[in-house]
Amino acid sequence: MKRKAWIAVGLGAVLLGAGVTLTGCGDSSTDNGKIQIEMVQYKQEAVKAFEQMEEKFNATHDDIELTIESPNDAMTILKTRFIKEDQPDIIGIGGDINYSNFLDSEMLMDISDFDGLEDVKQSYKDILENLEFVPTEGTYAVPYVANAAGILYNKDMFEENGWEIPTTWDEFLTLLDTIQASGQQPLYFGFKDSWTCLAPWNAMACDLADADVCQQVNRGEATFSEAYREVAEKIIQLLPYAQDDPVAYSYNDACTAFARGESAMYCIGSYAVPQILSVNPDMNIDSFVFPAHDEADGQILNSGVDLLFAVMEDCENKEAAYEVLRFMMEDETIQIYLDDQNAIPCKEGEFTLPSQLDGMTEYIEADKMVDYQDHHYPSEMAVDAMIQTYLMDGDTDAFLEKFDTEWQRYNRDLIRKVQQYEEEHGEGGNES
Amino acid sequence: MMDKAKGNERKRTFLLITIPILVLFFTFNTLPLIKGFIYSFTNFKGYGSYEWVGLRNYIDLFQDARVGRSYLFTFKFAVVCTIIVNVVSLILALGLNSKIKAKSALRGIYFIPNVLGGLVVGYIFSFIFTYILPTIGQTLGIEALSGSMLASTKTAWFAIVIVAAWQSIAMNTIIYISGLQTVPEDVYEAGSIDGATGWTKFKSLTFPLIIPFFTINMVLCMKNFLMAFDQIMALTKGGPAQSTESISYLIYQNGMSGGQFGFQSANAVLFFIVIVAISVFQLSFMNKKEEQL
Amino acid sequence: MMKKKSQGVGGTNWPITILLIIGCVTIFFPLYMAVIIAFKQPSEMTNDIAGALAFPSKWSFSNFTQAMEVTDFWNSVGNSLLITILTVVIAILIHSLAGYAIGRNMGNSKFYKFSYLYIVSGMFVPFAILMMPLVKQTSQMGIGNRAGVIILYVVFYMPMNVLLYSGYLKNIPLALEEAAKVDGASTWKTYWSIIFPIMKPMHATVAVLTALGTWNDVMTPLVIMSGTGKNTLPLAQLNFQTQFGTNYNLAFASYLLALIPILIFYLVCQKQILNGVVNGAVK
Repeated sequence: MKRKAWIAVGLGAVLLGAGVTLTGCGDSSTDNGKIQIEMVQYKQEAVKAFEQMEEKFNATHDDIELTIESPNDAMTILKTRFIKEDQPDIIGIGGDINYSNFLDSEMLMDISDFDGLEDVKQSYKDILENLEFVPTEGTYAVPYVANAAGILYNKDMFEENGWEIPTTWDEFLTLLDTIQASGQQPLYFGFKDSWTCLAPWNAMACDLADADVCQQVNRGEATFSEAYREVAEKIIQLLPYAQDDPVAYSYNDACTAFARGESAMYCIGSYAVPQILSVNPDMNIDSFVFPAHDEADGQILNSGVDLLFAVMEDCENKEAAYEVLRFMMEDETIQIYLDDQNAIPCKEGEFTLPSQLDGMTEYIEADKMVDYQDHHYPSEMAVDAMIQTYLMDGDTDAFLEKFDTEWQRYNRDLIRKVQQYEEEHGEGGNES
Repeated sequence: MMDKAKGNERKRTFLLITIPILVLFFTFNTLPLIKGFIYSFTNFKGYGSYEWVGLRNYIDLFQDARVGRSYLFTFKFAVVCTIIVNVVSLILALGLNSKIKAKSALRGIYFIPNVLGGLVVGYIFSFIFTYILPTIGQTLGIEALSGSMLASTKTAWFAIVIVAAWQSIAMNTIIYISGLQTVPEDVYEAGSIDGATGWTKFKSLTFPLIIPFFTINMVLCMKNFLMAFDQIMALTKGGPAQSTESISYLIYQNGMSGGQFGFQSANAVLFFIVIVAISVFQLSFMNKKEEQL
Repeated sequence: MMKKKSQGVGGTNWPITILLIIGCVTIFFPLYMAVIIAFKQPSEMTNDIAGALAFPSKWSFSNFTQAMEVTDFWNSVGNSLLITILTVVIAILIHSLAGYAIGRNMGNSKFYKFSYLYIVSGMFVPFAILMMPLVKQTSQMGIGNRAGVIILYVVFYMPMNVLLYSGYLKNIPLALEEAAKVDGASTWKTYWSIIFPIMKPMHATVAVLTALGTWNDVMTPLVIMSGTGKNTLPLAQLNFQTQFGTNYNLAFASYLLALIPILIFYLVCQKQILNGVVNGAVK
């Protein structure tokens, strides 16, 4: 008589048992006595460099075991893990709105006492500082590498045809006409991936709009309709110079096309160079700052923190995490990354910069740089898709009006917070 | 002839079976449903702290153009797809049920798309839409085909319809075939004496008899297409210009990675109500129809 | 006209047969494209029709071996198999029991009638609404992994399967059980020795429907298993998209590998699958 009860219990146990055993194989690697440090970083294209770093770190450290994960679509994975309350110890993300959000949600640890911060260039620390919604005490991230966006060009094509690097918007338009008249394709876009619409947008907005336009709007001192009008009017003029149907092709397609010499220029960031070189390793690429301004000295380089490291608030082994960061900041480790990824180091020191950035070096050295505007846009507002829509329908007024109204709605909580802060701290609280 | 002890034993066994199952179902279906409902009143990002915002998310839902567009797209997609799928699969079923050679082989072939995963099928079609069709269009000089269907807001949704229909037609055809097989031969014989042929025969004799199968197909199709996700993930990721964002995709995209956990929870609650309303409406409408006949 | 089944006048309807055979092109064309692209090398990808449709110059499996390496094919297949098989087995055991207990009593008990409606109405709950809370909940319970995915599938398929089983039960006369009862067998024992075997046709249906659904599902493992480093076969295709880059040949080799297991299964069990699907839909 009791048997059925046992079997019923047994069935339940099967379910649970399956659960326990399957969970078991997942995370049972702590038994070698080492401190486990888990890092999730979002630059999947750099997976090879990170594998190399991981190996090197583990070979030189007996007490700490570092695992670095570089998943596809890492931001979604990372946020899903936050929802799961399953945080890694260190995250490697970009200096963008996500960083602002994580910081604002008090998820990151104050690492002001980390000794490696001294070697980081001040301008990059400032850029991160500017990403804070409201000024926050302390330092929460180590800027690791930066990137720059503008125009990449095919050096061989330019030399063969004797084309000059443009320094103003008019020169740029003339160049586009010249290239087109020669029967070649001036530009190639990969707008199927809507984020690539932001590349020309950011590069042009640096020249044409104030760096802190988003903060101005949040304080109620400006509107995007005014600040972005010129950017919007100019970006749409690029379309006739690109391939037909740019929305049909993805980022990968565009990189491949540019690599195969199907276009003379490609408006994208330095982060695309490794991908392009993987298609055509012998390609001669150089870059120049996007000349969106009418005056030559009005051009400003679009540069932001491409990768930063932050320690999560509930990381249990702060010292071990610092040890990992110290290792990451060693010159040799940074060089591993630079060799693989073609980036600009945030640390002071002598590094071999990639030759593809030659055209931008003077701006970097003169510190004539501004962060990407989209680093201040909330991701759920999907500005990239709004720009994509605009590039397809060409309705400037509707686009700018939508930008303003959507902005108010998506940033409602933030604007309230900023204004509250202003009231408490008086005017100019956010100056930096 | 059951004595009391036996009766009790039987009752106890049934309870012992049912209660754990109800608990399991409650824990992983009803409980998250309730939690989702609760989150819909917050501005939760999915992590960090959050506040109660009352009905704000629901008010926003009705003002959010992106949400509105995703509902419009999802319905347009689901309705068109349901119609296409049912028409095509009914024709196919009639064909496959007539006197043909290699009947079972053909039936087997037409079912293949249904066993394949939506995501991978989407990737394959994505390539065909981007590279093969435009090439064919350009060579033959067909203007409409010479660009990628996925690149235009006018055609991208239809590309998704094609892929979704390609997969679902298989399933619906099989259901219709089994429906057609329930139609007794003597109905036809009686019909042919009256001189019924072709369309009249189908309309007045066959169709009324397979209405239950039609109902099943309509309900199945509608429900599946309203929840479309895989195809969109593989083909367009919601683009171009957000024109192909289905409700499920938007909830996933903005709820999980966009930091709108609370707002998208409200969206999900609304979506749930819509699905229930449509299903109840469809079933009662069809039942009435069936009774009339 | 020697065939037993050929009734009435006339023989094979040739026009329809031919039309249907031509129609198969719509089924095979995408698969054909997948196969030839998977075997080609990137350099063979051309921009004209003849080139796009032509056979590869050499039938080499190098893309496949590379794809297997990139996507960790065997592990993904293993996970998919594990999840699908366990789900199907548990579903058959538990759902048939539930269908039995509820189906036998819903006629005369409000509690069971309510349980029936409660579970079956779960069919209308879209996954989208459960997704976000479930991600949180499964991870708090420590089952944000393959086990969690299996449990979720068992719950998601419960409404449909309980409906199927309890419907099927109506055809099984109560007298069968009562005969066993007279012999002194307990209800539990009677169920496993008499009812469970009788429901075999329904087990096949449930197995087929549940297996097809779980094998091809992307969304559940995508949100529940993220961060565990484990992939199912469809999930691997999604996760390795960026690693394929523009090497469509490698990507297609991987897609084809993802399709092959289920295609083989279908070829072997075609009849059972078709019957199962029909049974499920008609009931």
